[in-house]
Amino acid sequence: LIQMATGAESILALTGRRTTGQSIRSQNVTAAVAIANIVKSSLGPVGLDKMLVDDVGDVIITNDGATILKQLEVEHPAAKVLVELAQLQDEEVGDGTTSVVIVAAELLKLGDELIKNKLHPTTVINGYRLACKEAVKYLQENLSFPVEELGRQSLINAAKTSMSSKIIGPDMDFFSEMVVEATELVKVTDSATGKITYPIKAINVLKAHGKSARESMLIKGYALNCTVACQGMPLQIKDAKIACLDFSLQKAKMHLGISVVVDDPVKLEAIRREEFDIVKRRIEKILAAGANVILTSGGIDDLCLKMFTEAGAMGVRRCKKADLKRIAKATGATLTCSLANLEGEETFDATQLGHADEIVQQRISDDELIIIRGTKARTASSIILRGANDTMLDEMERSVHDSLCVVRRVLESGRLVAGGGAVEAALNVYLEAFATTLSSREQLAVAEFAQALLVIPKTLSANAARDSTDLVAKLRAFHHKAQQNSKLSHLKWAGLDLESGEVRDNKEAGIFEPAMSKVKSIKFATEAAITILRIDDLIKLDKEEPRGGDQCGA
Amino acid sequence: MMGAGGQPIIVLSQGTKRESGHHVQIGNITACKTIADVIRTSLGPRAMLKMLMDPMGGIVMTNDGNAILREITVKHPAAKSMIDIARTQDEETGDGTTSVIVLAGEVMSQAQQFLEQKIHPTIIIQAYRAALEEAIKLAEEKYSRAIDVNNDEEIKTVVRSCLGTKMISKWMDLAVDIALNAVKTIRVDKGGVNEIDIKRYCRIEKIPGGTIEDCKVIKGVILNKDVVHAKMRRRIENPRVALLDCNLEYKKGESQTSLEIVREEDISKILEQEEIVIRKQCDEIIALKPDLVFTEKGVSDLAQHFLLKAGITVLRRLKKTDNNRLARVCGARIVNDTCDLREEDIGTAAELFEITKIGDEYYTYVTSSKTTACTVCLRGPSKDVINEVERNLQDALHVVRNVMLNPRLVPGGGALEMALAHALVEKGKSIEGVRQFPYKAVARSLEVIPRTLVQNCGGSTIRQLTALRAKHAQSADNWTWGIDGCSGKIVDMKELGIWDPLSVRIQVLKTAVETSVMLLRIDDIVSGTKKSSGGDGPVKEMPM
Repeated sequence: LIQMATGAESILALTGRRTTGQSIRSQNVTAAVAIANIVKSSLGPVGLDKMLVDDVGDVIITNDGATILKQLEVEHPAAKVLVELAQLQDEEVGDGTTSVVIVAAELLKLGDELIKNKLHPTTVINGYRLACKEAVKYLQENLSFPVEELGRQSLINAAKTSMSSKIIGPDMDFFSEMVVEATELVKVTDSATGKITYPIKAINVLKAHGKSARESMLIKGYALNCTVACQGMPLQIKDAKIACLDFSLQKAKMHLGISVVVDDPVKLEAIRREEFDIVKRRIEKILAAGANVILTSGGIDDLCLKMFTEAGAMGVRRCKKADLKRIAKATGATLTCSLANLEGEETFDATQLGHADEIVQQRISDDELIIIRGTKARTASSIILRGANDTMLDEMERSVHDSLCVVRRVLESGRLVAGGGAVEAALNVYLEAFATTLSSREQLAVAEFAQALLVIPKTLSANAARDSTDLVAKLRAFHHKAQQNSKLSHLKWAGLDLESGEVRDNKEAGIFEPAMSKVKSIKFATEAAITILRIDDLIKLDKEEPRGGDQCGA
Repeated sequence: MMGAGGQPIIVLSQGTKRESGHHVQIGNITACKTIADVIRTSLGPRAMLKMLMDPMGGIVMTNDGNAILREITVKHPAAKSMIDIARTQDEETGDGTTSVIVLAGEVMSQAQQFLEQKIHPTIIIQAYRAALEEAIKLAEEKYSRAIDVNNDEEIKTVVRSCLGTKMISKWMDLAVDIALNAVKTIRVDKGGVNEIDIKRYCRIEKIPGGTIEDCKVIKGVILNKDVVHAKMRRRIENPRVALLDCNLEYKKGESQTSLEIVREEDISKILEQEEIVIRKQCDEIIALKPDLVFTEKGVSDLAQHFLLKAGITVLRRLKKTDNNRLARVCGARIVNDTCDLREEDIGTAAELFEITKIGDEYYTYVTSSKTTACTVCLRGPSKDVINEVERNLQDALHVVRNVMLNPRLVPGGGALEMALAHALVEKGKSIEGVRQFPYKAVARSLEVIPRTLVQNCGGSTIRQLTALRAKHAQSADNWTWGIDGCSGKIVDMKELGIWDPLSVRIQVLKTAVETSVMLLRIDDIVSGTKKSSGGDGPVKEMPM
């Protein structure tokens, strides 16, 4: 047994354990590889799902790398870096979380081998940096192509590629169309800069169980998971004028701890009346401004309902604030926090109202939803997912979200790459050639970097139960030809067809990924690998109360 | 995990258990089969009830799939998903909960053989989905017929076949009439769309005692309440009704107010004031001359006195839902503050208000022949029996609703499943590659419905099933042949008159296949993960 710790123990002021040198590096790498192994089998169109059961027995079924890792209780510090890496990819790109973890782990594994062969870690790190830079450059220049080349079909294909590995994979024709349309509906052009953005957060994804996945629907408008406050209200309002309120329409109440002391009994009744009247006045003002739909994040007292019913207005209480913000944006309403104006008077102006063609309450499954159609300021879209049970719906939501992210990235960055391991294989061939042009020690690291990228096509084919060695060799041969012979450059789109276990032109087959997602995932993976490789010392302090039988088993 | 040098490296927390690979898939399948086996005997007209005892000692007696599974605590995550689908089925269609579980269990177990032959799950899944699509298409186009929703006889047939499997089947005609009447009452035509809201407007009031024959539909509302003052009128024809949801008693404000009294006369002033306020409230009510006042809150003795003198009958402490239904029956608007009462808020549509004593308790009836809200009054010898009758009736109500909303029927008694199975096997022959086998497996698993029907009535499974298969193979016109669940013989459903709503059967197929697809995709179970803290959905803060 190796005991690095003993010598150092006396120097440290606190009791703890110190691991240094090769031993800690190997530990870290092993941990990282263990993490990658967990998510490995969920990569690719034939990847399978994980079922995660938490301590109270709730089940999550997912294929999304970030979600899997988030749910796992990872203890090892180096493994945690990888978990955070997946999280980062999820936040930045939204898709490709599994592949980034796998690539990072592979980079670590191969890097560790080099270090074991007495190459200094900084050399490996430099080599990785260099290779990463070269790879990104080559990818952007040679392996990507603009969306315009293929038009809308390419968006749909990119969405399909992201879905293919997910539970909605069998219905990807249906869902890709839906996702692309939803994204296009929320297009926003910044009037000042003319920049076009697609805030996919504005797409409200709702879940209702029942029916089947195929009966999920896209609603051109905003769907709100609330119902009208009382049954006397109309369920449909045409030409709606919407007031979005962020306060409760309830009896005015003093804050806790404030008590009013009166000595005239008549005043007591006056106070009671006033409590009623304050809120009534508010509602009158809102209704006077012409509002016929009132959405509030707070409650609506029963006593106010009648005022709305009499005015033929729809009142909805306890809307989520995030929903209200989006509705306000879409309809052009102002989310009002208080009716008080600068002078301290309470006013409600008609300009604060938002407009929509129609608001209707619809029954879906056992639930009811309020749907706002034809919003005036911006178009909005919502997706209602249907499925057999909650676990399935949750996973569908995650998958749809990933695809939305992909479509948005494609639309915003406008460049695509071919999927199915095509990019990785091409970069591998390129970087190997590039490595031979280097005459320093970094050559080795660059070559290993190239080798590490191959893990993606390898895992893809392994998941599909194909001979990965054979397929990857074929794939590399194609890319080599493409890079050697400019006449054969169309071969650079060659990727894996996992259904039949062959190599095909993935550009033709419509397997696309956003270029940005690939670039980011290479960059993130490299950074994470470097972070971990730089570590040569681990000091773990014991907990305050001494505990016997520490897990490090020395 | 052992690192270099034999030191164990802890990556995951030690409480985490991880299973993966083939083992997991087989485990999931076994779990699904187990769940299906639990309720297999509750399918069909010869179904047996299950008696479930909860930890508190309460008893549930039922043959409703959802009600049974709801009470069972399971540990296996896949089994939990199975139980979920029974709920989904119940919410979506209200019927077919047993079938969906039995079918899902069978679809899963059919997959086992392929997994053992090392066919990749994604291939099985693709085939399953393809088969599902084909089955739905066939069921919609070929194996169903449209009916006229206004023809009571036809709808009655459907309800009858649904209730045939339930405890209430002995009082079939009664139950069918109740279900049909109730749904017809609450059906509202809203701009060409029929709205049937059973949850809100059809209440089931359970009154233990009497016999099941005494069950009936009341067009209106029944409340388990008596008037607040014994001298108030207990029967009013064509009453003018005021609905309130405020107190008729003195209540202090929301803010903390305290009154400091220094003078002696103030105390009487306060009491006087309370009286004045109540007096004023009552006067406001009396000014409109209602005969009946319902309120969701309390009524003070003083207010009772004033209202009694004005000849007004008062009922207090109603439930909000009851008040809403009353509003629909008598056309009144619920008013929150007596000073807001207007003439148009008074409801006049109710025809009769009456309080009768049933058993030990008083029940208030407010009825109207034109109303769109109704109450089903259930009677029966014991609470458990009534509860089961209620569950049966709920199913029946949903069936009527489904038929009215989607007036297409499919033959029951396993005929549809057999017809689909036959068609899918034929179709499967034209499919290329490995997919053919799982595709045909779906067809085979559909046969579980007729098979279980035969099993449950003690027939000879193999003989009847092969006979039925042969019947369907003979000619495409035999698609209505199925199993008579009482005798276990094969019969033409047209003659027996067993028809199910299409929407229910299709939902069964969809839910069963989709759930198995989801479960088959799993190759790894990690248990003991951390409790998802709040939003485990993927919607995170995205940089915009």
